[in-house]
This record gives sequence, C-alpha cells and structure tokens, in this order.
Amino acid sequence: MAVETTMSNTRHEVRTPAAKRRVKAAKGRRLWPFLLPSAIVSFFILIYPLCYALYLSLFSYYLDSGVSNFVGLGNYTDLLGDGRFWSSLQRTLLIVVAAVSLEFCVGLAIAYGLYRLTFGVRTLNLLMFLPHIITPVVAALFLKWIFAGRWGLLDLILGSMGIFSPDWLGDPMWARISVVLADAWQFTPFMILVLYAGLNTVDQSQIEAAQIDGAAGWQILFRIMLPSIRPLIVFVLTMRMMDAFRYFDTIYVLTSGGPGSATETLTMQTYALAFRLFEVGKASALGVLTLVIVLLLAAILIGVVGRSKEKSQ
Amino acid sequence: MKNRRPRTSQTLLFLALCLFTAVMLTPVIWAFLTSIKQPIDAFAIPPTLVFLPTLEFHHQVWFEKGFAGFLVNSLIISVSTVLISVSIGTMAAYGLSRMRGRAARGILFGLLSLRMFPHMLLAIPFFMLAKYLNLIDTYPAMILALVAINQPFTIWLMHSFLVDVPTEIDEAASIDGASEWQTFFKVVLPIVRPGLWVTALFSLLLAYNEFLFALVLTGPHTKTLPVAIAEYGGEDLNYWSLSAAAAIGIMIPIMVFMMLMQRHLVRGLAMGAVK
Amino acid sequence: MASVQISGIEKYFGDTHVIRGIDINIADGEFCVLVGPSGCGKSTLLRMIAGLEEIDEGQISIGARVVNSVPPKQRDIAMVFQNYALYPHMSVRENMSFSLQLAKKSKPEIEQRVHKAADILGLVPYLDRYPRQLSGGQRQRVAMGRAIVRNPQVFLFDEPLSNLDAKLRVQMRTEIRELHQRLKTTSVYVTHDQTEAMTMADKIVLMQDGVVEQAGAPLDLYDRPANTFVARFIGSPAMNLIPGVARSTGDGHVEFEGGVTLPLPAGARAAEGQSVLYGMRPEHCVVGASGLPVEVVVVEPTGADTQLYCRFKGQEMTATVRDRTDCRSGDRIALAPDLNRAHLFDAASGVRLVA
Repeated sequence: MAVETTMSNTRHEVRTPAAKRRVKAAKGRRLWPFLLPSAIVSFFILIYPLCYALYLSLFSYYLDSGVSNFVGLGNYTDLLGDGRFWSSLQRTLLIVVAAVSLEFCVGLAIAYGLYRLTFGVRTLNLLMFLPHIITPVVAALFLKWIFAGRWGLLDLILGSMGIFSPDWLGDPMWARISVVLADAWQFTPFMILVLYAGLNTVDQSQIEAAQIDGAAGWQILFRIMLPSIRPLIVFVLTMRMMDAFRYFDTIYVLTSGGPGSATETLTMQTYALAFRLFEVGKASALGVLTLVIVLLLAAILIGVVGRSKEKSQ
Repeated sequence: MKNRRPRTSQTLLFLALCLFTAVMLTPVIWAFLTSIKQPIDAFAIPPTLVFLPTLEFHHQVWFEKGFAGFLVNSLIISVSTVLISVSIGTMAAYGLSRMRGRAARGILFGLLSLRMFPHMLLAIPFFMLAKYLNLIDTYPAMILALVAINQPFTIWLMHSFLVDVPTEIDEAASIDGASEWQTFFKVVLPIVRPGLWVTALFSLLLAYNEFLFALVLTGPHTKTLPVAIAEYGGEDLNYWSLSAAAAIGIMIPIMVFMMLMQRHLVRGLAMGAVK
Repeated sequence: MASVQISGIEKYFGDTHVIRGIDINIADGEFCVLVGPSGCGKSTLLRMIAGLEEIDEGQISIGARVVNSVPPKQRDIAMVFQNYALYPHMSVRENMSFSLQLAKKSKPEIEQRVHKAADILGLVPYLDRYPRQLSGGQRQRVAMGRAIVRNPQVFLFDEPLSNLDAKLRVQMRTEIRELHQRLKTTSVYVTHDQTEAMTMADKIVLMQDGVVEQAGAPLDLYDRPANTFVARFIGSPAMNLIPGVARSTGDGHVEFEGGVTLPLPAGARAAEGQSVLYGMRPEHCVVGASGLPVEVVVVEPTGADTQLYCRFKGQEMTATVRDRTDCRSGDRIALAPDLNRAHLFDAASGVRLVA
C-alpha cells in the first residue's frame, strides 16, 4: 500500500548520507582494551617468532659457528632437490594416511556401536578415552614396552604361543607400522568421541523414516547418517590429518626416526636439522615447507570431499 | 533405534565394546604391572600374572631419582600457564564476542590458522630467541611460550561459550550503571563459569603434557616430567621397572583430571573439536 | 520525571536508511507507545533513547538535557527488555539490587527500595529465588522491578509482553497500566500489537519504514486516521477499503464497480472523477436493505458478536454484527456505512480526504 507521510510531526530534510555515516555501536570500540593483553602476547610470542622463522629460512645459518649467510631461496631449492626431503615427505604421507584411515574406520565402528548401546556408554567412553589424554611421551613409552624386541608384551605373548614375532621397532617396515599403530592408539578415542557426538545429532525422524522404508541398520548408517554429518567428518579428518603431519612426541620416543631413517617424518627431519645439525636456516625452511604442504592437503581434502557434497545435494 | 534392540545383541555389543576397551587399556595396565613387579617377574615368558607386588620402584623414582622435583617444575609451569592464558584469553574472547563485523571474524579466522602451524616451526625461533636473551632453563620462557601457544585454543573455546550469553544482558548491566569491566567481571563471567572450568582444565592438561617446547626450552633446573621420562626410555632392561613407575606416576594427575572432568569430558572435548 | 524530546532523528545501518527524520514530543508523565509493523524502526528508536544505538542526525533530550553523547548509565533511564535479560546467576533480590550497588547506595537504602518495588509487584515471596525457577510472568515482573528500584526519569519498554501467552499478556497489560498510574513516570513503550497500543497509551506514535505515520491519542488515530496505513493498522478486524470513483453531482457520492453508489462520508470531499477508497470499519457496517451488495462467505460467531466475511465483486470485506444473526454462508446481504464514522481516502496517495 503506497502511503506517503502526512502529518506535520515528521520532517524530511535532505542530507547527504555519505557525510553523515558513523560507525555503529561504539561499544565495539570500547572493548579494545580487553583484547590488548592477549594481542600483545600473541604478537610478540607467536607472530614475531613466526616471522623470524620465515626470515631465518632465507639464511644458511649454523648455530654453533654463529656464521650466517643470506641465501635467499637457496635453502628451499636445496631441500626440494634433496632426495631425503622427498622420502621424508613420502613416509610422512604414508604414515598419516594409514593412521587417519585406520582411526576413522575403527572410530566409526566403535562410535556406531556405542550409539546402539543402551547402557554403560558413558563409562566405556570415559575408559576408552584414557589413551588420548595420556602424555604422548608416556604413551610412547607404554607402547615401547609392548613393541620392544624380546621383552615387550607382544613378543612375550607370541613367544609363549610359539609364534615368531617380527622386530616391531627394528625392522623398517614394521617400525612404520608400529608408528601408525601408536598414532591410532592415541587418537582413535578422539575420533570415536567426535563421531559419536556427530551420530547423536542426526535427526531421529530421518532415521525413523528410513526404518519405515525398510532400511537395515548398516544401510541407515551409511546412506543417511554419515551423509548428514558430512561437514563434521570433513572437519575432523582435516584436523586429524593436519595434526598427524606434525606428530613429534611419540615418534621421538618410540623410534627416534629410526631404524636408520625408516620413520623419519618431516617433523623428525626438521628436528634433526635444527637441534642435531644446528642448521637452523634450513630447518626453518623445512618447517615452512611442511606448513605449505599441510595447508595444501587441507585445501584439497576440503575441496574434494566438500565439492562432492554439493553434487549430491 | 536404540530401545528396540533385543537383550542378547545388546549384551554381545557390550561385551565387544568392553573387549575393545580392554585392548585399548592393555598398554596402561601392562605398564602398571611392570612398575610393581620385580624384574624377574616382569620379563618372564610366559608373562606371569601372579606375583608379589612391590612399590620400591615407585618410591625410588620419586624420591631418589628426582622426579618429585620434576613434578614441581611441571606443576609450576602448567598452573602459571593456565592462570595467565585463561585470563587474557577469556578477556580477548569477550571482546571478540561483543564486536560485530568483519574485524572479529577475521581475527577468529586468524587464530584458527595459527593453530595449524607446526609447533616445530615455532620451536626453532623460540629456542634461538631464548638463547639470545639467556632465558633457556628459566620458568618465564617456558610459561610465556606455552601461554602464547595456548591462546588460539582458549580464545576459540571461550568465545563459543561467551557468544551464548545474549548481549541484552550486557545492555541491561550497562543501563544499570555498570562499566565494561564491571559487566564482564560481575555479570558475564559468572554466567560462563562452567565454560571457564572446561577451558582451564583442558589447558592444564595440554600444558602438563607438552613435550617439544619443554625439550627445547628447559634445562636441568626447570625440566618437566615429560622430558624427564623421555630420557628414561632407554633399552636397558634394568631401567624398565623404574621408568614404568615414573610413567604411571606421571599419569596420576591425569587420572585426577579425568575424575574431575568426567561429566564435562565428553561434552567439552567434542565441543572443542567441533568448534 | 521528565519529558522526552526527539527531533530530526536519522539513522543508518550501513547503507540502509532505517530512521528517516523523526520528531516526537513526549510530555512529562506521559505513556507513549511506539507501534508499527516489524522493521519500522521503533525498537531502534527506543534503543537510541536508551543510548544503546548511536544517533546519526538530530538530537534526543531527556528533561532539559541533550543526551546524544551521554552513555546509558548516566541517562537516568531504566529499560525492560523483551527477553527480560535477568542475570541468571543472581537471585531476584540481587537482580534488583545490582544497579543500586553499582551506584554505591547504602545497604539499608537498597533493602528498602528493593522491598518497596517487590511489594508493588507482588514479588516479596520470590526475592530469594533464581530466574530459572520463575515463570514467564514472574520474570517479567522482576525485570520491571529492576527498573522501578532505580526511580528513573524515564521507563523504556521493548516489547516486554511478546514472550507471554495471550491470557497473561492481557493481565500484564492492565498491571503495567496500573503501575504507570501509580508511579506516573514518563514511559516509552514499543510493541507491534495495535491492541496493546490502543489500550495502554496516552499517546500513540505509529511508525512505518522509519517515519511517523501519525501520532496522537489512541482514539484520534481510530476516529481520524491520517491515511490508509493508519486506518488499516489500527482496529481489528481491519477497516474495509473499497475502491471507487468520486462523483460531484448533487451532494456528491462514490460510484463502485457495477454501478452501485454510496453517499460521501460526513466531512469528506473529493473531486469529480477522483479515484478513491471508501473506508468502513467492520464494526460500523450496517446490515440492511440498502448498501453494497455482498455475498456472505464465512460466518464466525465469537459469542459476543458475529464476524461476517463477505465478498463484493471479488473484493473481501468484513462486517462485525453485535449479537447473533440469521445470516448463513451464501446469503446475499447489503452493507451500508455509518456515514458519521466512514472515511474517504485518495486511492493514489492514501491520504484521508477531508473538507
């Protein structure tokens, strides 16, 4: 209904909007002091060192000799040309993909089991969660005593059954498997937790509709529940993958990158470069490369899984 | 879907999950057993389940091998970290939750991306800066480093709690005569107290478990438990009982943590993960 | 107690011009209701009076003081929010004492003022309870109690009753009105419900799209609406507006589709051939022998009266008839206007046509 303003109580004076615009909510401005302490800390202790690391990566710097030369992108080209880098990368990818896949599959199975269980869920959840909150170094030690040659639990058990057991930590291939299992031991509970929470958010009525349509448990899981929590799955897989890439504590204690370089991941290589060889420039460059790779992988993961979501919707 | 399952499959499911849980807990149980066995029993084939327990290794580790001192270091560092980090982080989160527009979202996104950085990349400059400032093996260096690293997590988590407090409460307080700080401290903070507990306890756990930065920044005077125990991980069998005792000992505060948090654990970590 | 002057107010949210030139004078002790459809800017205006939104243009004065740059806590106002905004971790007593504590009043004075307010609102038995233990109506009272203890110059209400169920709303309306008569504090009350506006206000300000359509006493807006928007917003069911053409032959009449005519409403004047809208309120329609021929579609007896939903040449009309009637769906009846209560509006501009 087109109505024009009428009564004398209103007044229209033409003023240019551009001249009279003001930032709304002065409240936002008044809250800056709250951000200040954290900003100061974050800037000086997070951002500045990061920039410093970037800066370092452009130098060839041997810490114990104190000599540093500017080499520009020399460190990067060295690394990219070095076979050691590529094998580290390959190993890291292998370990990460294997570990995360294992965690996801096992995690999903257990989460679904918990979802179907009608009693004792909280206790079980709590107990299962212990490996996740244990100090990673301690976890590594625990696993070391399981995997160790001759006196580790696995060997004791298999030995008493007369089965020959492989050299879990000494054989290159088995060492990698041990590392994967170690990561899985620690992080499957996390996966279980998140997936369990996710499964519980699925709308009951959708499930009931599917049941009426005649779907069985597994079908409902894979065709209704999982698709509906797809964003969560993408998120947790990405998070886990990025975290697994930067995994250090446990590998350090379990195999220290060995035997030889069988379990030398990018992080372990960076550590070795920085704190054993004291080549901090190159180490920083490797760190930056690791970051770039992680971001790339995250982008790919989100892109691939995210886009296929759009197609199905 | 839940309530229609027949008894038998529920029992089977429960048993299967119990089995899984037992397998998952085996390393912990085994370490515990190792820590209270005499070496002969510990390394017998087949593994013995009936033995005479002893606490001598536990006693040794804490009182003779200096682990009590390391515990003190760990506690000083983690508690200080949490006190500082949660305070300034919550303040920042409050500011962010009340700001509208792109600035706030930009900062939050920036924090999220900071979380993605490999700690190793930070460890190198931390080490060099600390060395340059002669701060290696001091408490402040370690505490400041951990506070900084903890900020993204704390701010994100507290932000999610604070956003749930309607701004109308702020406005009512403002009209009642409260300044910004009074509104924050007397009105909003008490409302998010449960969130504060969750954040504080999880930050405590993370600080307590921190290894890489402790390895790089601490020395003989400030060595924390994780670093100490890593040094005990040798292949020498004689040390196994001792390090098992140490490892189990380190876990006790964590168990306490689990008791405290059991109601919040599942919810809190899921929220932390999802948000 | 103080008057509130609003002059030349403009406000932008980014590029959107949400308040476009508003002038309102609220006298000391007056109960002024800002009413209008959602998005008209009434809440924004209220928040500008409170100091919760910035004023881009113009000024607001409380009493003799211009308060544009005065922060909320120094404006000596109190506000009741739509969602009550009670402090969940404080008891009722603490909720009500909070502002006085901040003002560093003495304990005995706080006690006395809180008790007095609680007494007025019937909250004394609930003083030590927490908001989560109270019902909606009780929470609303606590919100008002919090405002009363401060003894401010102006009360501001932001749609306080929208979260209550219908029956409670009616009850609270009366209570607020009684409270106002007792305390006589200048009040500005925002609502989207025209019934609340009509029953509670000393002065109604009807807004749409950031401007004031009409301001005045409730019955002024009812009896003499300035335009079709006001005419249809005030009063329920809404006024019927039938399109027709004005004719100036003889005393003047209005010609409708199909040749039917009705005399001009008393006091109205229109030019020959002018497109007009003939306004008759449902309660002023007379069912009789002459008038607009309509077909009854639905008959709704409400007990006290009967609503007849009819159709005139494809146009829907409503008539409210006191008492029961024999009309049934499908009947053809004639609706005639009460010429003293009918109106004529220009079809293009919506303005009411008066002599």
